[in-house]
Amino acid sequence: MIMEETKKKILEYDALVVGGGIAGGESALNLANLGYQVLLVEKDLTIGGKMIMLSKVFPTLDCAACITTPKVSEIARHKNITILTGAEVKKINKLGEHRFEVDVLQKPRYVHVADCTGCQLCEDVCPVSVSDQYQYGMVGRKAAYIPFSIASPRAAAIDIENCTLCGACERACPTKCIDFTQTEEEYLVKARSVVVATGFNLFDPLKIPRYGYGRFKNIITSMQMERQLAPTRPFNTILRPGDGKLPDNIAYVLCTGSRDKSVGNPICSQVCCMYSIKQAQLLMGALPMADITIYYLHIRAFGKGFNEFYAQAQDMGVEFIKGKVGKISEKENGNLILRYEDIEAGVVKEAEHDMVVLSVGILPNQGIADVFENEKLELDPFNFVQQSDMLASPAKTSIDGVFVAGTASGPMDIPDSILSGGAASAETTSYLRRGTL
Amino acid sequence: MEIEKGKTAKYLKEKRPVPKEVTEQLKSFTKTKKAILNALKEVHKTIPELAMELNMPKEDVVYQLMSLVKYGQVAPDDIDDMDEYFYYKIKSNGKN
Ligand SMILES: Cc1cc2nc3c(=O)[nH]c(=O)nc-3n(C[C@H](O)[C@H](O)[C@H](O)COP(=O)(O)OP(=O)(O)OC[C@H]3O[C@@H](n4cnc5c(N)ncnc54)[C@H](O)[C@@H]3O)c2cc1C
Ligand code: SF4
Ligand code: SF4
Repeated sequence: MIMEETKKKILEYDALVVGGGIAGGESALNLANLGYQVLLVEKDLTIGGKMIMLSKVFPTLDCAACITTPKVSEIARHKNITILTGAEVKKINKLGEHRFEVDVLQKPRYVHVADCTGCQLCEDVCPVSVSDQYQYGMVGRKAAYIPFSIASPRAAAIDIENCTLCGACERACPTKCIDFTQTEEEYLVKARSVVVATGFNLFDPLKIPRYGYGRFKNIITSMQMERQLAPTRPFNTILRPGDGKLPDNIAYVLCTGSRDKSVGNPICSQVCCMYSIKQAQLLMGALPMADITIYYLHIRAFGKGFNEFYAQAQDMGVEFIKGKVGKISEKENGNLILRYEDIEAGVVKEAEHDMVVLSVGILPNQGIADVFENEKLELDPFNFVQQSDMLASPAKTSIDGVFVAGTASGPMDIPDSILSGGAASAETTSYLRRGTL
Repeated sequence: MEIEKGKTAKYLKEKRPVPKEVTEQLKSFTKTKKAILNALKEVHKTIPELAMELNMPKEDVVYQLMSLVKYGQVAPDDIDDMDEYFYYKIKSNGKN
C-alpha cells in the first residue's frame, strides 16, 4: 500500500502500558485510579488478551467472560486511560529519568470506532468468508467483522488483506462509519514510565510432527477446546472438527511443548495441568456420556484450592494415566491411537480415543526486547523478561522506569497475572513519585 | 479532494488493486455455499451425508457448514438415532 505522507501526533502520558491483557489492564487501571494518565497500547483489535477468550476459570469454574467483561469495560471507560488498539510500539528510547520517547504505529481499522454501533449489518452483507483467528481457525468470519461479541471496543474492523473492496458494507452501514481512506497513524509518545505486559505465545504443536496435529483433524489444541467450551463457541456444541461427530472418548496430552528440551522449552508452563483438569470437568458436564482420560507426567496442583480441584475431577470419573505419549496415529474412522509408555507399569501400551486435545505450553513473547533502542531490556534464560530483583521487587526490569507485568515475565495463571499487574503498578507509582517528591 | 462518506471503497481500489487470490477465494466460498444450501433445500442432512453428496472432505464440510450456521443461513436440527451426528437445515428466516 502507498503510505500517505503522515505527521506524527505527539502524546504525553505518565505511564505507557504495552499489552492490554489482564495483567496490563490491571496495571493501567490501578495507575489511572491514582490519577496518573495512562496510554494502553494493544496490538490486537480488542483488549482482554487470552483471558477474554477462555470458557471458565480454574479452580472456581467462574465464567471467564463474566469476570473479564466488567474489568475490560472499566478500563475502556476510565477517564485517565487512553487505549490504542491495532497499535504496536516500534521504538522505545530512554532519554533520562522519567523521560521515555516511544514511537507507536496504529494500523487503519477502516472503521471510525466512535461511530460504530456494533449492529453487524456490515458483517451480514460482506460476501467474503475467511478463517476466524478468534476461533483458532475452526470456523470462518467475514472480511467486515466484529472480533467477537464481548470484544472491547465492540466495533467492526475491515480485514483489508481479504477484502474485495466491493463496498457492500459501506452501503449497509447506517452510521456511515466505514472509511477506506483511513491510513496508518504514527504517534510520538512522551512517557514518564513504561509497563511491559505483552503476555505469552502458545506453543505450536506442528513442531511435534509425531503427534499428527494438522494432519489428523480430530486433534485440537487446548485453546481450541477453550473456544468450543465457551458460550461464544464456533460450533453448536462440542464436535470433532474432522467430521462433526459428538465425541465420547476424549484424551488430553499434557506437557505438549513444555518440559521438553527437544522443542526448546525445558520449563513447566504452570497452567496446563489445571486448565486441562478444568476442561475435563466442563466436558463431563457438557457431554455426560463421555469418557475423559488425561495422560500426564506429573500433576502440578500447587495453588490454593488446586489439589481439591484435581481430586474433584477424579471423583467425577476423569481417568488419569501417568504416561508419556510417544506417537499418535489415525484410524480410517477418524479415531486416534495413542502409543504411550505407562510409567507406573513400565510398559508401552496403545489406547483408542475419538478426539485428542494437546495441552499446549506457554512460550515467551520475545519481540518487545527488540524495540528498546538505547538501553537493553534483559531477558531470562528462557527468553521471558528478566525480573532484575525477583524476590524484593518482582516487577523491576533491567531498565529503571520499565516494569514487567503478568506472563511477559514467565508462565502464570490469572490470579498471579493480576497480582503481578498490581505489583507493576505499585512499583511504577513509586518510580513516578520519586520524580516529584 | 472531497471524500464521499459511505462510498470510500473506490478510493482505495484506485490505489490498491484487489489481489487475484482474494477474488479466487471469494468465488470458491460462494460456490461451496451454494452447493451446501442447495443440498439442504429439501431435507435436513448430517455432515457425513453432505460430504458424500457433495464429494467434499468431511472436515471441509464442518468448517463451511459451521460458518453458514454462524452467518445465520443454516441451523442445527435434531441428532441422529445413534446420538452421533446432528442434522442441519436451512434456517427458515435465513438470509442469502
Ligand atoms: C488454554 C488455556 C487455558 C487457560 N485457562 C486458565 C484458567 O482457567 N485459569 C487461569 O487462572 N489461567 C488460565 N490460563 C492462563 C491465562 O490465560 C493467563 O494467565 C493470562 O491470560 C495471562 O495474562 P497476560 O495479560 O499476562 O497475557 P495475555 O493474555 O497474553 O495478554 C497480553 C496482551 O498483550 C498484547 N501484546 C502482545 N505483544 C504486544 C505488543 N508488542 N504491543 C502491544 N500489545 C501486545 C496481546 O495482544 C495481548 O492482548 C489459561 C491459558 C491457556 C493457554
Ligand atoms: S468492501 Fe470488503 S469488507 Fe466490505 S463488504 Fe465488500 S468485501 Fe466485505
Ligand atoms: S461498521 Fe457500521 S454496519 Fe458495521 S457494525 Fe459498525 S455501525 Fe454497524
